[in-house]
Amino acid sequence: MKLVTYIENFEELEKLIALDCKTPIEIIVGATPLTRYSKTSLEEMLRLTGIAKKNNIDVVLEWDALNQEEKFLNSCDVIDRLPLHEFKAIRVQDPGAVEYIKNKYPWLKIQLILENGNHNLIGLNKWCEYLGEQCERLVLSNELSREMLRGYAKVLKTPIEILVFGRILLFYSPRKLLSPLEKKNIEVKSLEAYGSSEESPHSGFPLIENTHGTFMFNVKDLYLLDHLDELREMGILHTRVDLRFDESFNNYSEAVMNLFSGTVSENELPFKKIHPRPLIKGFYNINKTDVLFTKLKNKRTQRQDVNYIGEIVDVERDVQLALMIKSDMFDRSLIHEIRMITPEGKEKVVQLSWIKSSVGEEVHSAMKNDLVLIPYTNGITVKTQVYLNSKNS
Amino acid sequence: MSHWTPELLSPAGSLEKLKVSVLYGADAVYLGGQKFDLRQASDNFTYEELTEGVEFAHSHGSKVYVVLNSFLHDKDLEELPEFLGLLEELKVDAVIVSDLGVISTIQKHSKLVVHLSTQASCLNVESAKLWQKMGAHRIVLGREVTIKEAAKIKKATGLEIEMFVHGSMCMSYSGNCVISNYTQGRDSNRGGCAHSCRFEYSIDFKNESKESKKAYFMSSKDLEGIRMLPEFIEAGIDSLKVEGRNKSHHYAGTISKVYSEALRYYRGHGNFLSSDMISWEEELRKVSHRDYTTGSLDIYAGDDSIYNNREQDDNEFVVSGIVLEASVGKHLLVDVKSAFHPGDILEVMPFKGQTEKLKVDFLRSLSGVSLEKSKPGSVVKIPYIPGAEKFNIIRKRAV
Ligand code: SF4
Repeated sequence: MKLVTYIENFEELEKLIALDCKTPIEIIVGATPLTRYSKTSLEEMLRLTGIAKKNNIDVVLEWDALNQEEKFLNSCDVIDRLPLHEFKAIRVQDPGAVEYIKNKYPWLKIQLILENGNHNLIGLNKWCEYLGEQCERLVLSNELSREMLRGYAKVLKTPIEILVFGRILLFYSPRKLLSPLEKKNIEVKSLEAYGSSEESPHSGFPLIENTHGTFMFNVKDLYLLDHLDELREMGILHTRVDLRFDESFNNYSEAVMNLFSGTVSENELPFKKIHPRPLIKGFYNINKTDVLFTKLKNKRTQRQDVNYIGEIVDVERDVQLALMIKSDMFDRSLIHEIRMITPEGKEKVVQLSWIKSSVGEEVHSAMKNDLVLIPYTNGITVKTQVYLNSKNS
Repeated sequence: MSHWTPELLSPAGSLEKLKVSVLYGADAVYLGGQKFDLRQASDNFTYEELTEGVEFAHSHGSKVYVVLNSFLHDKDLEELPEFLGLLEELKVDAVIVSDLGVISTIQKHSKLVVHLSTQASCLNVESAKLWQKMGAHRIVLGREVTIKEAAKIKKATGLEIEMFVHGSMCMSYSGNCVISNYTQGRDSNRGGCAHSCRFEYSIDFKNESKESKKAYFMSSKDLEGIRMLPEFIEAGIDSLKVEGRNKSHHYAGTISKVYSEALRYYRGHGNFLSSDMISWEEELRKVSHRDYTTGSLDIYAGDDSIYNNREQDDNEFVVSGIVLEASVGKHLLVDVKSAFHPGDILEVMPFKGQTEKLKVDFLRSLSGVSLEKSKPGSVVKIPYIPGAEKFNIIRKRAV
């Protein structure tokens, strides 16, 4: 199993080299103009790359910032000036970046970040088909459950990678949302804060503002390090550990290397005790995020079948009901009985003894969108759906 | 000579709202079925309503686009082909999609025209080229893109380009917010957004011991693009989209009416030098809205695009009802949406032209009983006013 992690500066790289991990390592490097949270300059990033390569560590360049056209062209300029052959691959998310690399650098391997959405095999296969051999890896969403991952790993020919430890990004805006609160009138390169809302059951969302905009992270971090064996067995051989925040590299890099080298077991790791935020498995066990909102609708107020006539729009107690005709034609001679279903689900079948227009004249037929009056029926409320009783049809 | 203008694309949160949008001037409407779109809390359309909606829109010369822009999971996709067949039968004009799996499924099972949803956050020329190869016929650009950039994208690809012209704005890059997923267990990319960006937050800056700052720092002002119409036209933007499927009839009617009147004026005159411009802007202020901004239409949205305010209902006008029947010389039948009284002064919004004042000289039930107050969810009779038509919106100044 390959350990994929980020390196942001020389101290981190030196430490990583010194740890002499027994498992294959791949490092991701970035630079401020291209990479979402990177504080590394281009020059520094290139020097880091050179040192890592000398130490036989695979280096992948990350270009994951999303960019509107004008900024995108600037990023392309940066990309064009880089010695791209020095990198094992490039990681991209913006489809524009994908297209640019595909066409201009067809020899450069792509690690495609599909972390937002892309929750179906048909789509994943299509991405692989589009990029062909150039696609070296799919970086998948942390909203995928174990079952989904297992299925994908079995079928996809392209290797997949998931995050097994790190912050969960919740929100990415190009707008600068923190600096207006600072009001210092000086250009700040980067701001970090925590946000809490009384309207949310959670508090302490980590926030970052930098040149690319504003990012909000979950109050709990993802932790799947206790599932490495299972992931390996599923065929997921690239797992990413993100140690960029909260002094994590200093605190955990050694333990992570030991875990991946097999010299310590997961339950010996210090993480759970010292990590500043709760750790969660996210949706790894199950993703039921579509369950709640299917309950938001009242199915009974929805039209259902071919015998549909219309909807009750007014009720005058003991006098009449007003029915808005929604079918093409309403012919009294064809309809003797109607079935009414209230929003609460109560059903009533009644005979139609008369139908009147809105001025009280008896009528024998009505057209779509006409309003007619029918006899009062106890218990019927507005939004009741009216059907021809199927006995009549 | 008629000058070219973009299509005006309005929201249709329900069948009734579809009719309102179309009658008030929308060239096209977009709507969701019972599944597969991002407005799971709105009424959405059953198959029967969809049939009626498409017939209604087409008979009035308006197009219908069906939104399928959820990031669907494998099991959702299994149900999609059957729905696509229904949409083809109904001859809907296009489907709005953001997920590559959905696009592939559409291409495999139908000949439906694909519009790429803003949810895919297409922001640049190269991205548009990729989606074009994937089968997109039109791109609904991310709200972060300027009109000038949109013009470049159009020129470079020849694709139809759609941009938002009016309405609420997601503060995040669309499709890049999963706050609801992790905090409420509702997938914001499958219709469950809980609008956490509108909450007030207290912010504690790292390395600062100062007191926390309270702010609605993630809440965006609403987009208003009426003053940018010349730029949209010059850039050749094909379609101008109004956000708001969850919004009121008043909103759907007013926004459709204002923008369609402005565009109609341009078609006749080749400019927007209309004395009505001020009244159009006033009308846009009469519907429920946050403070307005031009977002990133001109330059990238800055500090002044942040609303930083509590969500409030301080509408200048409230909808009193929708006309269900106009019995010439006798009465109007009104589907009451909010209470009014005999003696109140209401305004009837005709489909074209100025609103008309209407004094409620009588207020009766359908059986003719005089009422002291109209009750929402009932139908009442009020005096007829010349020019009033079925589906006109009746509103009242809020007190
Ligand atoms: S919470 Fe706000 S930013 Fe996030 S998806 Fe919903 S509207 Fe958009």
